[in-house]
Amino acid sequence: MSLLKKFIALPVLAATLATSMSVASELDYPTKRLNYTIAFGPGGGNDLMSRTVVDILKKYKFYDKTIRVDNLAGGSGAVGFNYVAQQQGNPYHLTSTSGNFLGTPLVSNTGWTYQDFTPIGLLAQDAMFIVVRADSDFQSASDFVEYAKHNRVTIGGTGAAGPERVVASLFAEAAGFDYDYVPSQDGGGMVTSLTSKSVDAIVANPSEVSGQITAGNFRPLAYSESQRSTVYQDVPTFKEQGYDFAFSLPRGVVMPSEVDPAVQQWWVETLQKVVDTPEWQDYLTTNSLSGNTVWGEDFAKNLAATNADFKRVLTQIGAIK
Amino acid sequence: MVFAEIFEHLAFGLSVALTPTNVLFLLIGALVGMVVGLFPGFGPAAGIAILIPMTFGLDPTTAIIMLSGIYYGSMYGGTITSILINTPGESATVASTLDGYPMAQQGRAGPALVMQAIASFVGGTLGVILICGFAPLLANFASSFGPSEYFLIIMLGLLLLTTMMGENRLNGIISALFGFAIAMVGVDSVSGAQRYTFGSPELIGGIYFVPVAIGLFGIGELLYCIYTGQHKRENERVQFSFRSRDFWPTTKDYISSRFTFVRGSIIGFVAGVLPGSGATIGSILAYSVEKKVADDPERFGKGEMRGLVAPETANNAASAGAMVPLISLGIPGSGATAVLLGALMMWGLQPGPMLIDSNPDLVWGLVASMYMGNMILVALSILAIPLFVKFLDIPYRLVVPVIVILCVIGAYALNNSIIETSMLLIMGVVGFGMKLYGYSPAATVLALVLGGMAESTFLQSLIISQGSLAIFVERPISLVLTLVMLSTLGLSLALRIYKKARRNKQPEVNCEHAK
Repeated sequence: MSLLKKFIALPVLAATLATSMSVASELDYPTKRLNYTIAFGPGGGNDLMSRTVVDILKKYKFYDKTIRVDNLAGGSGAVGFNYVAQQQGNPYHLTSTSGNFLGTPLVSNTGWTYQDFTPIGLLAQDAMFIVVRADSDFQSASDFVEYAKHNRVTIGGTGAAGPERVVASLFAEAAGFDYDYVPSQDGGGMVTSLTSKSVDAIVANPSEVSGQITAGNFRPLAYSESQRSTVYQDVPTFKEQGYDFAFSLPRGVVMPSEVDPAVQQWWVETLQKVVDTPEWQDYLTTNSLSGNTVWGEDFAKNLAATNADFKRVLTQIGAIK
Repeated sequence: MVFAEIFEHLAFGLSVALTPTNVLFLLIGALVGMVVGLFPGFGPAAGIAILIPMTFGLDPTTAIIMLSGIYYGSMYGGTITSILINTPGESATVASTLDGYPMAQQGRAGPALVMQAIASFVGGTLGVILICGFAPLLANFASSFGPSEYFLIIMLGLLLLTTMMGENRLNGIISALFGFAIAMVGVDSVSGAQRYTFGSPELIGGIYFVPVAIGLFGIGELLYCIYTGQHKRENERVQFSFRSRDFWPTTKDYISSRFTFVRGSIIGFVAGVLPGSGATIGSILAYSVEKKVADDPERFGKGEMRGLVAPETANNAASAGAMVPLISLGIPGSGATAVLLGALMMWGLQPGPMLIDSNPDLVWGLVASMYMGNMILVALSILAIPLFVKFLDIPYRLVVPVIVILCVIGAYALNNSIIETSMLLIMGVVGFGMKLYGYSPAATVLALVLGGMAESTFLQSLIISQGSLAIFVERPISLVLTLVMLSTLGLSLALRIYKKARRNKQPEVNCEHAK
């Protein structure tokens, strides 16, 4: 928003404020500035999502007080999430979750876990494709499993102990085959490990391989969410193909613990309005995220299940003891 | 065929780069880069690293155009101090002092500065043309690069790194090992287990190389300058007039160095394309080749125009060449491109074979901006030469605090985190020690960047091959790279043994040469 627009918007905002009272009459909220903490540096996936949410809250005046956004980075999210966790009972703090929200407490001594937060909602699902070269013989996940049961296969992915490895592990476990995992340091290295025929398949975020899929070089075999992606509707899930597991990273919003349940409900309703806006749909498409949402206590259950899968696989590979 | 491609890519790039915003930021970048280049020790790497936070909030294409403006600007600026006060702004302009400073002493500072601007322009422009013709070819080729090929090419880069360390090989190797040690901190690339993090969440992500680079180069150099008392010294003034005929190079200068431009550009470009080699090697190589082919090698080192033109065309052609492995393979060819790589990744772009396909506007916009940057800079340098000479009159003691503040802000702003700032200050002290005792901060920074990549790609290769080293000779490209690496190693070893044997046989001849 330009400075000029801000000057126009503020008086307008003040005028609407004076006339309309809060929706939930018994709940006097919000009355103060909101602090939106981003536990990562500017420009990353978490930052982008948080700023999209805040921009929508401001643009549609869903939150009629000011919103302050802070990047509090450090220690793979440990610093920022710790700050929010310490604001117990304060209804004016929000933060966005991503993979490290679960992963960092598992591998290091952070002093907080996902259980120290009040869940609001899972706004988007960051799930994975398993992808093969288009010139390979694998047309479906079952072709791949059949081959993998009788031959040695290698599956590539980004990072040693990330969600890619969890998906590969859960797939192998559900289908009953053995594989060797080849961890790349970055998305580019992972993609070239497949183009150069170094590995048989890769587990990748849709955004990392969508270019190659569109170009006809890669073929996605399955998607790791429990439902099909809202962006790639023609790629079947693992579940549909008979491999009973699902895994996706939570791109959601949480608050500090011990927040008034009425405030929690207020935010669930507000964020439900946020995900209905065209701006949010644009964000999902641009970033290849799936828009299937989960709210309130269901989000807590979803976090617990994802955390359990994460923990089990990380223990299996020896990343945590 | 190649010519059509060159034209097509350049035209597309210009259509992206030639927006008023981009040109404005390119101009700002070039100007700022030139000023940064004037400070001793602040080469392109430190310049880009410090100014990255300035580009946050810009569109990635605009931001990277601005950063490349800084890159080029500091290459131009660095030479000005080399010529005027015999202080190279960075290692790639060391060779330019050999003939540039004698020219200034003989009262030919004007022709020297103008000629270095023209030489830089020619080198940079030929470099851009070579990129347009061959980068897509290299990018297609790069798709067949798997972990084993990556590992070998990184090893080749590390091997060339040792030639960059100059005389004191032991110090150079220790510097590189220090870089590897820093690269070890973080998470093991295969098991995901933590290494050297002492259980602290701050170190899980590893040590970021930008604060290390600013600390070692920037703060380290400042501490060293204070240590040597440079802040107390009166700045030497160099007199020349802007309007007089003495300001411009003579026709004889142009004619005598016409082939030097071409040779310098090609040598520089090739050196730039090879990862780990870059502008420094390119400029030294071009200088020595020029001296070898000249009929009158005795004139070099005494203010010979060709001795200035060769390293200047080469270092700018090399900075263009270094873009090829960066944009087509995702491998930095020099300290400056290593910082650029970090910047690209910060914007969520993946430098690598796919960058040209996935972000053609960015790649060709960048290349075209390099071409435009060269044009802007040749004009800027010539117009601003008198101004920059004035700038050097500012006492060093006033400049130092400003630079320290800029460095601290720059490191903090990377992640809005105090951890990076502490790292910067620690590395500043380390960098001072390295400078004092003749270690190579460049080797440390490159080893930090390449070390992590080497480890991870080596382990990936071994997982794929189930622990067999045969993977490095079974795949055709791997085989070629292994052979190139072994022959480079064998050749340099053989050469050293041969030289040693000759030196032992005829000590008296060498003494005469020295006279």
